[in-house]
Amino acid sequence: MSVTKPLPHDSAKLHVTGTARYVDDIPVPADCLHLAFGLSDIACGSIQSINLDAVRAAPGVTSVWLAGDLPTDCDCSPSVHDEPLLSDGQIHYLGQPVFLVAATSHTAARHAARLGQIEYSPEPALLTIEDAYLAGSQFGDAPRIWERGTAAPAIYAAAHVIEGVLDMGGQEHFYLESQAAMVMPQDGGDMLVHSSTQHPSEIQHKVAHALDIPMHAVQVETRRMGGGFGGKESQGNALAISCAVVAAATGRPAKMRYDRDDDFTITGKRHDFQIRYRVGTDESGRIEGAEFLQLARCGWAQDLSFPVADRAMLHTDNAYFLPNVRIESHRLKTNTQSATAFRGFGGPQGMLGIERVMDHIAHTLGQDPLAVRRVNFYDTPETQSGRTSTPYGQEVDDFVLDELVTKLADQCDYSIRREAAAQWNETNPVLKRGIALTPVKFGISFTLTHLNQAGALVHVYQDGSIQLNHGGTEMGQGLFQKVAQVAASRFGVPIETIKITATDTGKVPNTSATAASSGSDLNGMAVKAACDTIRDRMATHLGKNVQFEGGSVVVDGSAIPFAEAAKRCYESRISLSATGFYKTPKLEWNPETGQGRPFFYFAYGAACSEVVIDTLTGENRILRTDIIHDAGASLNPVLDIGQVEGGFVQGAGWLTTEELIWDDKGRLRTHAPSTYKIPACSDRPDIFNVSLWDGQNTEDTIYRSKAVGEPPFMLGIAVLMALSDAVGACGDIYADLNAPATPERILKAVQKVRDGI
Amino acid sequence: MSDKMHIKLTVNGEDKEFLAEPRDLLIYALREKLNITGPHVGCDTSHCGACTVTLNGKSVKSCTMFVAQANGAEITTIEGIGSPDALHVLQESFKEHHGLQCGFCTPGMITRATKLLEENPTPTEEEVRFGMAGNICRCTGYQNIVKSILAAASEINSAKEAAE
Amino acid sequence: MYSFEVERPTSVADAAAALGKDEAQALGGGQTLIPTLKQRLASPSVLVSLAGIADIKGVSVDGGTVTIGGGTTHGVVAAEAGAYPALAALAGNIGDPAVRNRGTIGGSLANNDPSACYPSAALASGATIVTNSREIAADDYFQGLFETALEEGEIVISVKFPIPEAASYQKFEQPASRFALVGVYVAKFADGVRVAVTGASEGGVYRWSEAEAALSGNFSADALDGLTVSGDDMISDLHGSGDYRAHLVKVMTKRAVAAAS
Repeated sequence: MSVTKPLPHDSAKLHVTGTARYVDDIPVPADCLHLAFGLSDIACGSIQSINLDAVRAAPGVTSVWLAGDLPTDCDCSPSVHDEPLLSDGQIHYLGQPVFLVAATSHTAARHAARLGQIEYSPEPALLTIEDAYLAGSQFGDAPRIWERGTAAPAIYAAAHVIEGVLDMGGQEHFYLESQAAMVMPQDGGDMLVHSSTQHPSEIQHKVAHALDIPMHAVQVETRRMGGGFGGKESQGNALAISCAVVAAATGRPAKMRYDRDDDFTITGKRHDFQIRYRVGTDESGRIEGAEFLQLARCGWAQDLSFPVADRAMLHTDNAYFLPNVRIESHRLKTNTQSATAFRGFGGPQGMLGIERVMDHIAHTLGQDPLAVRRVNFYDTPETQSGRTSTPYGQEVDDFVLDELVTKLADQCDYSIRREAAAQWNETNPVLKRGIALTPVKFGISFTLTHLNQAGALVHVYQDGSIQLNHGGTEMGQGLFQKVAQVAASRFGVPIETIKITATDTGKVPNTSATAASSGSDLNGMAVKAACDTIRDRMATHLGKNVQFEGGSVVVDGSAIPFAEAAKRCYESRISLSATGFYKTPKLEWNPETGQGRPFFYFAYGAACSEVVIDTLTGENRILRTDIIHDAGASLNPVLDIGQVEGGFVQGAGWLTTEELIWDDKGRLRTHAPSTYKIPACSDRPDIFNVSLWDGQNTEDTIYRSKAVGEPPFMLGIAVLMALSDAVGACGDIYADLNAPATPERILKAVQKVRDGI
Repeated sequence: MSDKMHIKLTVNGEDKEFLAEPRDLLIYALREKLNITGPHVGCDTSHCGACTVTLNGKSVKSCTMFVAQANGAEITTIEGIGSPDALHVLQESFKEHHGLQCGFCTPGMITRATKLLEENPTPTEEEVRFGMAGNICRCTGYQNIVKSILAAASEINSAKEAAE
Repeated sequence: MYSFEVERPTSVADAAAALGKDEAQALGGGQTLIPTLKQRLASPSVLVSLAGIADIKGVSVDGGTVTIGGGTTHGVVAAEAGAYPALAALAGNIGDPAVRNRGTIGGSLANNDPSACYPSAALASGATIVTNSREIAADDYFQGLFETALEEGEIVISVKFPIPEAASYQKFEQPASRFALVGVYVAKFADGVRVAVTGASEGGVYRWSEAEAALSGNFSADALDGLTVSGDDMISDLHGSGDYRAHLVKVMTKRAVAAAS
């Protein structure tokens, strides 16, 4: 059976030979126009005058658009319609598109785009969390507040009260393939769109709206992305819309690709947060009451900030039972890029808050942080302790962290190495070691319930070859292969029989984004439904006791090749094509009250990281990381382990070297890989052991597997906690280490802890 | 706008001639004039390595070279390494050892790795990581990339020994 | 970037003549100039590529001096300047392998980026920069941020490095670009110690004379214990504050002394 086999990525051969096509590799017709945006130079204010004469006169330029030239407002927002494609006269962030240039080449468009002469009336910009919080600048009428029990009295009555503030930076996706789209006009005003997107249906919807045509007139096709990570969930809208507008106006194909600089400057990143906490614990470190203030910097437009901030609230508990808790979430509006989806989607931020709390409690009580974590773990239902429900009222009935963490701690000799690190620190004044073991419990499903649906289209051709299509998109995570393995397993045929095809709004309509780690869950089940429909029709026709296995169909003991079975069914006028559909059961949740069941199940993992820091410079290295991650009954262990390794490294990068810096004019200064440091080949743990937890999903998911796209990202939290541990070895006061923990920040923390500076 | 220059290159064993402006970067000449789309544009500032090609026997970042500087050179891109019917050891290795996810960095990675193994046929893991410092991957965390390169090195070396 | 002509002379004389034209700019490996042009921070009308001039390439050793042609790439220096190990090691750690296949020492010194590595090697070694018209001592050559003693159109033909008794270059990298956030080159000669610091000062590469005095008397890391480095006049930017750089100068100098061989 194909499922559970460690097959390579579906496009591996194409990738290693350089023949896999991304949007920018698609051959373009000779009359294709190339587009670029002219961007604003101030963070906040209004446009006084615009002179685009030089742009129009530049070599290669065919036309230029301002907002007034567009057929509609060409809104780009995935949520509340607050993002016109081009500035309507108001400027909301430095880097906002003001005009659109079409030219005969990409470089001609880019050159021309720099020639706009725009005069602004600047207004004071709100750039930071502090600015916006003090000014009360936020989305929605009020902060969102969820409570369970009564936190303040519980804290008051507790033996120990621990409070603090944690700052964590945002993160740039840095998908290696920057944003790209190409549109080919078809007959009668129809549009064919090639887009590097996680959400073809949204592209279709926004393009149709922009041109004021029905969705059925727009077809979007996506074969693959060179990385997505959430950055292509909504940020691709602007390019596709621009290309469609130009194609409609000129009758010529149009293509747009952001250069890396523009990609950094225009698109949204991970939300940076400040979390303020106050908890009361007993002597063992068990939390009795907790209060969190979560300040999320959302940028100028709402985009996906509400579900992101909600998910941060929903992961305030991580793996821990919080009997009394109050979470107050502010969605702050600032004059910066509109922060958007990024692997974890608020979960990492919320989780980092409570992990910092655990670390801080342990320091205050002089205990092993792992012991404090364990004392706060959820209990399993059998214990009947009443410590099994999340703050939002969902029962945690699949909690495996107790055994998983025990196994990990044993496997990686956590206690021995913690002791060894402490001894090393006694005798080493300059280099200090730290170690931390942190858990992850991540809720799986879109929190906007209606997004938890998926469709598929499967054709069995009369020669027995099978074409597969579904609404999920491939961005490297191996979704296409995993789902193909499902299809192959349903029909009992080898994987080569299955043809994977580009995601296409003309084949499956109204699909959700490939996001929330749900791609395999949702699309796997939809494909299963379609395959089973066809298979059952075939079986009913062919006889009794029909088995599909090993590439054959066995009817009453005698086997015929699958191809023969297909031919016979076709000739007997049995339909060999079917759609499939799936929607996640059991979900029901109210975001206002924060109560209900937003998640179908939880995915778990834990990481133990050991680091060394140089107290003279703040330099640091990850010496070793051990991970056990729960992917349920894995559909494809190598693809899943790839997600775990890549997710961990990206999570570690978020918390250590990846620093986004804006200046006081609101200009993003770190806008290239020369200034924004993502992990490189040497930046990995010297020793890196990753294994999958042996277990099945308790819920009826596709082959009892679990989602694996996002949860491993949060395993990177172990690195920040280990660095905090290492800094803590320098003295008595709490390290208070913020993220990203760059060398300079670590040095400052060391100086504070050691010298009281 | 300046006059076009007459450029002659050998790319993957084939002679190519075309006109280009002096300021055309090699990566764009390859992709747009010669339709060689294996090397990718990842960053434009010479850091990510997705544009890596081999030029006169050395790894270079084609986004940081004018086609005028490359005039007369012999260039190998991913398309010139192995073939779909007969993959190079490194290509086979990246495929088998899952040294790729989204694949965008892969042509540059493999092109660089072929040179790394020529420069140092028996690299340690440390040397592989140092030698691949100019190629960024956002998806894999590099574990399997390093594994793929070491496995390929091992295979190449055993084949050499067997031949001797 | 703005458009320009490209010339590819094969002799120094032809290159000098080409550089005599208005708004002509020398092009070495392009690893700095091309990114600069892409950002439109410069707009020469003519680029004169020096890559075709065989005479300015190569590494040679004569007695106590290593001479490196201005057009020699970092990769070649790393491989062939073994007679001066600290210099070879510095070259081998610039950028990444592909960058080292293109960038040249002449380009690096002519540009004098305040965060580049080679200026500290040249200054600490007391090197001589040989141009097509004269020889310039390193002490006279570096004149500030991106400023050198070179006249318009003057070409770096070679650089002569006296080989010290012991030397080491310690670079604290800005992790994204791998340029020196702070880089310290320490060279011990029979007649004294030279310490050159790059990456740190707003004035570009400089000699830390107090450290030189202390180390000339006692070549060991603790000789520096009593010294302080001020954060004033240090570069303060996205990658580090002036105070952090000042702190690192002392730390990296000590490391260089400890590692010098």
